[in-house]
Amino acid sequence: MATAPWTRRHILSLADFQPEEYDTVLQTAASFQEVLSRRTKKVPALQGQVVANLFFEPSTRTRSSFELAAKRLSADTLNFAPGTSSLTKGETILDTAKTYLAMGTDIMVVRHREAGVPHAIAEEMDRLQSRVGVFNAGDGQHEHPSQALLDLFTLCTLLDPEKPRLSLLNGKKIAIVGDILHSRVARSNIWSLTASGAEVHLAGPPTLLPKLFADFVQTKSAALNRQLVLHWSLEPALQDADFVMTLRLQKERMTNHLLPSLREYHQRFGLTHERIKLCRPEVKVLHPGPVNRGVEISSELMDDPQISLISQQVTSGIAVRMALLYLMGSGKQKEES
Amino acid sequence: MTSQLLRQVRVLDPESETDRIADVLITDGRIAAIEASLPEPPANADVQDCSGCVLGPGLVDLYSHSGEPGFEDRETLDSLLHAAQAGGFTRLTLLPDTHPAIDTPASVEWLHARLRASPEPLPLLQCWGALTVGVAGQQMVELAELAESGIVGFADGRPLQNSMLLRRLLEYGQILNRPIALWCCDRELAGNGVVREGEESLRLGLPGNPAMAETAPLAALLECVATLGTPVHLMRISTARSVELLRDAKARGLPVTASTTWMHLLLNITAVQSYDPSLHLEPPLGNPADQEALCQAVQEGIIDAIAIDHSPYTYEEKTVAFAESPAGAIGLELALPLLWQQFVVSGQWSALTLWRCLSSQPARCLHQPPARLLPGVLAELTLFDPHQSWTITPQTLHSRSSNTPWLGQPVKGRVIQTWNSRLASHT
Repeated sequence: MATAPWTRRHILSLADFQPEEYDTVLQTAASFQEVLSRRTKKVPALQGQVVANLFFEPSTRTRSSFELAAKRLSADTLNFAPGTSSLTKGETILDTAKTYLAMGTDIMVVRHREAGVPHAIAEEMDRLQSRVGVFNAGDGQHEHPSQALLDLFTLCTLLDPEKPRLSLLNGKKIAIVGDILHSRVARSNIWSLTASGAEVHLAGPPTLLPKLFADFVQTKSAALNRQLVLHWSLEPALQDADFVMTLRLQKERMTNHLLPSLREYHQRFGLTHERIKLCRPEVKVLHPGPVNRGVEISSELMDDPQISLISQQVTSGIAVRMALLYLMGSGKQKEES
Repeated sequence: MTSQLLRQVRVLDPESETDRIADVLITDGRIAAIEASLPEPPANADVQDCSGCVLGPGLVDLYSHSGEPGFEDRETLDSLLHAAQAGGFTRLTLLPDTHPAIDTPASVEWLHARLRASPEPLPLLQCWGALTVGVAGQQMVELAELAESGIVGFADGRPLQNSMLLRRLLEYGQILNRPIALWCCDRELAGNGVVREGEESLRLGLPGNPAMAETAPLAALLECVATLGTPVHLMRISTARSVELLRDAKARGLPVTASTTWMHLLLNITAVQSYDPSLHLEPPLGNPADQEALCQAVQEGIIDAIAIDHSPYTYEEKTVAFAESPAGAIGLELALPLLWQQFVVSGQWSALTLWRCLSSQPARCLHQPPARLLPGVLAELTLFDPHQSWTITPQTLHSRSSNTPWLGQPVKGRVIQTWNSRLASHT
């Protein structure tokens, strides 16, 4: 399958992702999905390259997914965990990154509890004129590009398993429900889904969905500007929706006066079989995990294989992260040759 | 007798609205003559061709932070004064949030003794005295006693959260006869916000600090001032709505003056797309409409003065995530050249407007007489070359810290010399 050549060294945000780039990721992920269905699930694509997982914020799921993706590509992997690191000994985040650079790292996968840290590391790597590529694996409330891309892949392969592409979502109604304000997953998904031409509806209580979100997506051309549709109740967002993404609600939100109670939140915004009857009959539900059962989604709905795509999302994650690491790594090889 | 003749320099005297080319003769630290042309200088005079350069009253810093005492890694009083001099400042006003805080006559005396030990003729260093013990916002200092100890006025440099304490300070302040500077910020409303709330803060994924965290306490303070009549200086005005409140307060004749910082005039939140921790300020940089309103307010005189709010932090302190970095940036050496380029070269403001907001107006906010460019007066002057180019690096800066978003960048405009009412001093 012909794909556009990959020119992006770092993947930090989807805000400036081009349609061709989405399609390249989707098509590359589809070919790795095929690899993962073989008996030998490993390819030598990144043999000899080093992928370092710099997870300054603890994470098991995303880190495991990246690690497995790198291993399936035959890369050597390094894992950094803050609990056992020298961060407590006064080392700065840039010192840590420079240490991994000195070890010969090719790709740094960075997660941090605060926005902008992957940017700072990418800038430092460029300043040092290294060829290291930096991947943002989640920074504060800013972005989580690999999650949005695996969500995109999950949806597109559902619609056309042979040839997943961005345009498949054009005109689909997709609702994103929950704590939009604090969610990096929601932000990255807003960029990718609006780029596809989907009709994106956001739903949540006003404290978690400020009306400023209506103007979140801005493009240079006013004609291309797509307004997001905001709802402070669930029903209009679900009405005739093709897909519903629900987000994890952090339980500490209550202590910041953002919600009266989890019970009231579930009553108003929790997804249940009953509620999603408003959606189109073939509706599917996504969740980035980990799930608070009985808060943002009922246990029954989460476990319903006819409706829930949660397991597919996790599986897609490997193929999509393989594709992303491969594209970043192969770009490097071209520069070197 | 030593004489210096500055030939064909552009003379700016905001007090008399003068902006003209002249020859200026300075003899023994006094302005001896200002004439369109002085064809015959004294025999021993050092004659300099200053065409293209600007000579104005020395710049006055309204409030800045020192590292010393307590955080000498960030800045010492020596490095601070050298930075101020290099930036064209002849008066520097310290905030009292040092460690220990400047909240007793003994701490003021310590500072004065420390400065007497300095051999060089440096800018005048003066200090704000704390309003509350340890600038902790809990309990009044011994205000009347501290007022007699040589402080220039009262400020904590931090927002007071206790409204009753604020009211009492304003009442008691009526007998102090010193300026009182207050920063309006409701910490509860500001929450963990590190950038100004708005569309851009959502895109950045950084916690937003709403404009109402400034405007609500500002409106409340203006009500107190209207009732009690105590004059106050409003520090760090940063939002468009605050400008409206201020405009209204001044129209009603309330005894208030106000300042914004140089960074809030030059930048807005869109600059934060780089996530450079040097752009983490308190109050945060405004949205574009805030920046526009602040620039307009300076031009109209609604905002009286431009403050530097120089806040040095070490590389280690600032090399962390944006939201986790301490708020503040250095500015003493950068404000004049960058403001000049942005506002004067572009024609947005007159040269006199900028110079007034950096010299005579801050002096007035401190209840001090502004420096003048008149024959016979002591020379408190700054000579600035708007055309000289240099690059901002840790080596070219006199400050011990280099936490500025302009680090590594070229800049046009440099101070050549300052006169500190006593002796000429070269930068």
